[in-house]
Amino acid sequence: MDNNNKITDKMIETEVPIGIVHSAAIEPYRVRLFVEDEIIRDAEVTVGVNHRGIERIMEGLPVEKANSLTEKICGICSNSHLWNSCLVAEKGLEIDVPPRAEYIRIIMEELERLHSHMLYLAHGSEVLGHETFAMRLFYIRETAMELLRMIGGNRVQYGASIIGGVRPRCDLNEMRIKKINEGMDYIEEKIAEFADRFMRDPMVMSRISGVAAITRKDARRLATTGPTLRATGIEVDLRRDMEQYEPFEFDVITQDTGDVKANLLMRIFEIPEAVKIIRQAVKDLPDGKITNRSWEMQDTGIIRSYIEVPRGELYHSYSIEDGRVRSSIVRTPSITNVNTMEFACIGTHITDAQLAIVQCDPCFTCTDRAVQIVDHPLKKNKNRI
Amino acid sequence: MDTTMIISSVVAVIGTLIIAFAVSIWLPGIERKFVHARIQQRVGPPVSSPGFMAPIKFFFKQTLTPNSPMPRLYNALPLISLIIVVFILLAIIPQLYFLGALASIIAVIGLLKVEEIMYMFMGSLSKSVLSVSMPFPDLVKGAKHVNTTRSFIEELSSLRAFRLIAFGSFPLYIALFVPVVMSQSLFIGDIVVYQQLHGPVLFTVAGAIGAVVYFIGFMIFLNEYPFAIMKTRADVIEGPLLEYMSKYRAYTYITRGLLIFVLASLFTTMFLGIPPNIFSPGIMVTVAVAVIFPIAMAVMSTFSPVFTFRQFYPVVAATSILGVLALVAAFL
Repeated sequence: MDNNNKITDKMIETEVPIGIVHSAAIEPYRVRLFVEDEIIRDAEVTVGVNHRGIERIMEGLPVEKANSLTEKICGICSNSHLWNSCLVAEKGLEIDVPPRAEYIRIIMEELERLHSHMLYLAHGSEVLGHETFAMRLFYIRETAMELLRMIGGNRVQYGASIIGGVRPRCDLNEMRIKKINEGMDYIEEKIAEFADRFMRDPMVMSRISGVAAITRKDARRLATTGPTLRATGIEVDLRRDMEQYEPFEFDVITQDTGDVKANLLMRIFEIPEAVKIIRQAVKDLPDGKITNRSWEMQDTGIIRSYIEVPRGELYHSYSIEDGRVRSSIVRTPSITNVNTMEFACIGTHITDAQLAIVQCDPCFTCTDRAVQIVDHPLKKNKNRI
Repeated sequence: MDTTMIISSVVAVIGTLIIAFAVSIWLPGIERKFVHARIQQRVGPPVSSPGFMAPIKFFFKQTLTPNSPMPRLYNALPLISLIIVVFILLAIIPQLYFLGALASIIAVIGLLKVEEIMYMFMGSLSKSVLSVSMPFPDLVKGAKHVNTTRSFIEELSSLRAFRLIAFGSFPLYIALFVPVVMSQSLFIGDIVVYQQLHGPVLFTVAGAIGAVVYFIGFMIFLNEYPFAIMKTRADVIEGPLLEYMSKYRAYTYITRGLLIFVLASLFTTMFLGIPPNIFSPGIMVTVAVAVIFPIAMAVMSTFSPVFTFRQFYPVVAATSILGVLALVAAFL
């Protein structure tokens, strides 16, 4: 260590680079692990290699089109992006959303949380080497995916939210409500069985306990967000502050240890809470219209919106000029959690490196929107994006 | 030895080898189709695919030069490995007991050790493009550590293979000495004869404990989940075998299948007194054990995560202690 409490190069025995494109990394990101006898002394996670320039494309598009485009940012929490970008416009244009539409949006969002958490658990199990758990979780997740398809018409890009409400095709009738209730029964039962099996497995527990632990202090320092933050014992959930969630009762789940075990348990225990919210939303679903079309487009300043998505805090902001989007910014939870991922790796065994990263539930595809300036010697305009 | 006997012995050896190959090509398929897939409630691959069709397919693939400092040696290792496994099988076939010291437990253990060392060489000679060669600017402003010494992921596998040789395979070798102690001979032939006279070692206290230890050692030796420490997550799935392609990959597939059969045959020889011999009905027992072992192994591996050293050390230590207990019981 040097005076700045930073590990110097002399301490590093060797570096193990993984990626950019690597089958173990799944998504394109680069991990540099600085190891000493297989123990990680420092780590560096580099993102920004899969830039798609969505904000750039959004610039100048009509607001509705730009909103639809945000759905393409992520294949897991597509609804969250669309919902949040609609919220930006609704906030800026002061549009009242009908209560029925709010409830349907909440149902969509919580279904998305269900499938995202189950995907996380399956992925975590797979990284642990427990393929059977992974396969079983994917089966349970199918129910949530099918419910999303039933409501939105698609399994990935549902296109449910529009400015002022939700699309007519997403309205819920008796048959759909019945299916949702059946789905919730199934998920609740199966997840309870899985949780019981998971927590009783001594091999799994010994494998994940105390691995890649993050303390509360470090979590705050590293600006950790979402379930990864709550796994350290800090009770922060943006849903508590969102007016859309006011009618619903649910508990904010926390864990104490901040390790892989705490992170996995966090998601397991958040699943019944999501089910609880969906049940309440379905039961108390208000009557009435699902879209408010009586609003007018006008210019706004930069409007900001934060919502709690399955992986943490999602930020969207843009301003509107002549009905078009300007100064768009999207910040996904994973970009704020990159520091946590690096920190979690330090001190763990190299075999646990992927596990330490995975415990923060990263989604690099939606995170990668950084811009790299490439200097091309053959082009006149050397600075191109 | 008259001509008829020589011909009979040659036929027996060749026939046993053919049986071994014929059975071993189905074992990986049985393991994956009937156990992994069934437990995971999925269809799974065709039973012939992992052990039979995959090697055939790989034999007809294009061979490229691997990313290795010594590609020819690297490519030769799977074939050497296969030959070693064949030699282990030859050492326990009754018709070759006349070879004396070469048909002894010491020779078998020596060959098993050489087989283990192969993975160490494979790891150190494999330098896959996945770990280092990607052109990415690590010298960009803000990079944490510039100009560091880089390791290939396979080098880690090599180090782990070394650790496996050093202590990981203890249980298997300790278990092999239980019948040796009981029969008071290092020669395979004597161990078989002892069991024909006194009954199988398996049905004694020492033998039963030794069999459990042998099975765990068998899983460690095959580097099967949860003992797959030779493969880090970053190694994708293959560890030191990562760079093998075409026929060389086919050899590794065949070797693994044959190794399962050979280790099962070694078990029947040492613990049941039934060596693999095509002219004996006992070959059916060998085949049955060769099928049961991977099935049991697959059941265990399907319900467990991959161990890191934190779990691996205590398990090996506990199993080794159990093995020593079996040895003490055998002395008594």
